[in-house]
Amino acid sequence: MRRRSPWFVLVMAGLYVITASCGKKSTTEGTTIHFWQFWDMAVVTPIIAEFEKQNPGVHVEVEQLTWATGLEKIQAALASGTQPDVCELGSTWLPRFSYEGVLEDLTPVYQAERDSFLMWDSAFYKDHVYGLPWVQGSRVLFINRELFKKAGLDPDHPPDTWNDLLDASKKISALGNGVYGFGQNIGEKYVLFKKFMPFAWGNGGDVFDANWNVTVNSQPVLDALEFYLKLAPYSLQEKQEVLDQYFKTGKLGMQISGAWNVKNYKIEAPKLDYGCALVPRPAVDHGEHVGFAGAEMLVVFKGSAQRDAAVKLARFLQAYPQARAVSIAAGSVFPASREAMSDTTFTNDPHIKVFVEQSLTSRTPPAHPGWIEMEDVMDHAVEEAMYGRRAPRWCLDDAAKDITTIAAKFNQK
Amino acid sequence: MWLLLPWALVYGAFFVFPFLFSFVLGFLNYNPLNVSHTTFVGLGNITRLVGDADFHGALRNTLFFVIGTVPVTTTLALALAWLLHAPLPIKDVLKAAMFLPSILSVVVIALLFKLFYAPGGALNEALRAAGLPTHGWLTDPSTALPAIMAMDVWAAVGYYALVLYAAFTSIPESLYEAASLEGAGHWATFRHVTFPMLKPAIGFVLVINTIRSFQVFVEVLLMTQGGPLGSTNTLVTMLYDTAFRRLDYGYASVIAYAVFILSGLFSVLALRRMRSQTPVQTRGVPA
Amino acid sequence: MTRFLRWLVLVAAILLMAYPLAWMIAVSLRTPDGLNLRYYADVWSSGPFTRYFVNSLVVAAIVVTGNIVFCTMAAYAFARYRIRGAKLLFFLVLSTIMLPKQVILVPLYIEMQRMGLIDSYWALTLPFLVDPFNIFLIRQYLLGIPTDCEEAARIDGAGEMFILFRVVFPMLTPVLAVVAIHTTLTNWNSFLFPFILTNSTSMRTLPVGLALLSQGAYSIDWGHLMAGAVLSALPVVLAFLIFQRRIIGGLTTGMTR
Repeated sequence: MRRRSPWFVLVMAGLYVITASCGKKSTTEGTTIHFWQFWDMAVVTPIIAEFEKQNPGVHVEVEQLTWATGLEKIQAALASGTQPDVCELGSTWLPRFSYEGVLEDLTPVYQAERDSFLMWDSAFYKDHVYGLPWVQGSRVLFINRELFKKAGLDPDHPPDTWNDLLDASKKISALGNGVYGFGQNIGEKYVLFKKFMPFAWGNGGDVFDANWNVTVNSQPVLDALEFYLKLAPYSLQEKQEVLDQYFKTGKLGMQISGAWNVKNYKIEAPKLDYGCALVPRPAVDHGEHVGFAGAEMLVVFKGSAQRDAAVKLARFLQAYPQARAVSIAAGSVFPASREAMSDTTFTNDPHIKVFVEQSLTSRTPPAHPGWIEMEDVMDHAVEEAMYGRRAPRWCLDDAAKDITTIAAKFNQK
Repeated sequence: MWLLLPWALVYGAFFVFPFLFSFVLGFLNYNPLNVSHTTFVGLGNITRLVGDADFHGALRNTLFFVIGTVPVTTTLALALAWLLHAPLPIKDVLKAAMFLPSILSVVVIALLFKLFYAPGGALNEALRAAGLPTHGWLTDPSTALPAIMAMDVWAAVGYYALVLYAAFTSIPESLYEAASLEGAGHWATFRHVTFPMLKPAIGFVLVINTIRSFQVFVEVLLMTQGGPLGSTNTLVTMLYDTAFRRLDYGYASVIAYAVFILSGLFSVLALRRMRSQTPVQTRGVPA
Repeated sequence: MTRFLRWLVLVAAILLMAYPLAWMIAVSLRTPDGLNLRYYADVWSSGPFTRYFVNSLVVAAIVVTGNIVFCTMAAYAFARYRIRGAKLLFFLVLSTIMLPKQVILVPLYIEMQRMGLIDSYWALTLPFLVDPFNIFLIRQYLLGIPTDCEEAARIDGAGEMFILFRVVFPMLTPVLAVVAIHTTLTNWNSFLFPFILTNSTSMRTLPVGLALLSQGAYSIDWGHLMAGAVLSALPVVLAFLIFQRRIIGGLTTGMTR
């Protein structure tokens, strides 16, 4: 039998208050800037320390967000007026935020820095710039060199054109024994268009043209989709983890994926003999090696009490030494700066070199405020085509219709 | 009474207030990025919901999920409880083993089954060993939702079986004696003695299971995100997407209320069914 | 004969149910160099896991204690005193369960944000400190207990608090066991709210940590993932195995009231 008394309740309450307070953060005097970002604290802390050293009297409070819920938190913060001063925002989301008018205009910074950096596209809204490219990651073609050799292909000459890609897929698939030629994502969200769009882009097509007319059902895109479907019989169509697992265990010949694998394979598959190559182009005389890039941008929220200090922090972070430090610590991204192209840290590694090269011709999704919804439409269209539900032409036509409807909601573009 | 104070404080602050807030949201066009641009749309969100094809799909999937899992779980739980209700060796071990899946977190179960269903996972490997064809269980639009449903039944059945087992043990022996004295066979005994006495417990199981099933979300979020081709898009999945990706909190609130009303309706129906047939009362052991 | 058959069917059913769990453990142990605990060591030493475990523990302890104390108080009030709105309580309880939690997710988050409580133990415990479902359970149990002991104590001149905590409380052990178990389970495995209400690694709980492990930008080895899953589940499983009799007994007593 346990004894209880009112004192017990009070003691418990007291303990509660004490332990619960342990989680709260403390504030300091002077100018305080709040910076929200997605990388591990270990990555960012030294950089912040350096900034504070260079700017005495300024204190930076860093908060780490997770990829999974970071966006919800930013939304709730804006809704309650407690948003940070500086924030990291993905290139997919930036246009919507620009459209809503919650970001500081950073066009002067752009004018000063435009030639030093890549990946500005998503920061544009109506001829103003609202974000600074910080770090980015392209997706390139991964090949399993051993499977190439087994299939009679030359691993030192990875597929250059679409036909090469199709050919290689066929030959590796023919090896049988549970081995697949190519890897195609299916059955999950937020990935599909990243794997398909490079083919459309490489072929000169896009969701919109320069005047924001919807061109998703134009011929170049349709051709790209039809080619993508040609790869299907020789592909493993599965979720990303399964594709990664298969590639890691040597059962997948090729897939388009990102730099996190390079970091990952060193630990989990050190003996894997693989190579990286630029995304294949339509033909030798036609189209380009275009890849998909996810860019992380730095923004300053409007209404920040420390606007100038915030912009200063953003520019400091974007500057090459800092972006480089973040990239090396994180291991899966690269600075958005052109200086990275000639930095031997990156260019000496045969795999990383390809990523850096690919980023010169990589693209972020169309900078339309309604892109999030349109992305779902794109995913759905490609998926429908992949499942053979309807002919590619109709899938894209429907996509064009839906995207036009969504664009109308954001009447400005 | 001040005894109620802690509960009232917590409940008021952290449920009633957000509850009311989200109720009001249902009548607004609320965008978190631009709260000052909030407009009043009255019943606009509701009319939009009624005509929304995505909502119809999500509704279909969710209803399929509920109707497909609740009766199955309840029946299997009943069967397991019945099997347990006899002096058996290693009964404790069996009870523990049965209960195990229900104490695992949804995250653990979703993760486990994501790999379980994958190519190279346990299910496909077992099929391959038996010479049967393998399948992309989670990537095929026609098997993705049933796969998640099967997982859900697996995870819940043990808990409900124990609840029903507890109800079984509370049935007085005298009723069974009376039945056997009257020459009733197994099935008749079950129908006229066991089942009526279990009604309250079964009602409890049905209601709780129904309500929880209507809210299926975490599994979908971690395993398929509503795909492939929207075949696993459930009401709450759509709610989450509408609020946090489409930034349309008002519309999301209306979806939430649809879930609320539906699960309420089904629960009431289930309870009614259980109550309509009054248990057979014995008037004492016949001499 | 039928008895043996029943037992056989039961065992077969349970083996079938245990199969995925057995596979999970097998995958977590199968390293390229034989069967060993390498993945477990890796996951555990990936730093945050110890912290996640501690967080889950602290939060669970606080929430369970809070529930046991505060829910009993409220249930006692509802059971023993004439309070207007007992029906209202029932309706509130049911409606709390029926409403998808995601509805109050954002308003709750905004509220916490304004109170400055995001990413702290407060956020993880405060909203869950008094679960109406527990009040309901305890109240039902109380209604079935005769008030003789309490009357006697009152005649002897004992104060209400004394009666509640010294006389009634000890009688509630079976239902409180159910409350403790039910609350621990829902809280330990709770995912969505801790997921949203915390930012930093230092505040995450086990389910959140596990989900993030599997959703990162990196492809993770199945072995590591399953080891992580087993580790997350281990504390609850162990607690269950130890307190098995109590738990199942409590379920029996609690439910048949």
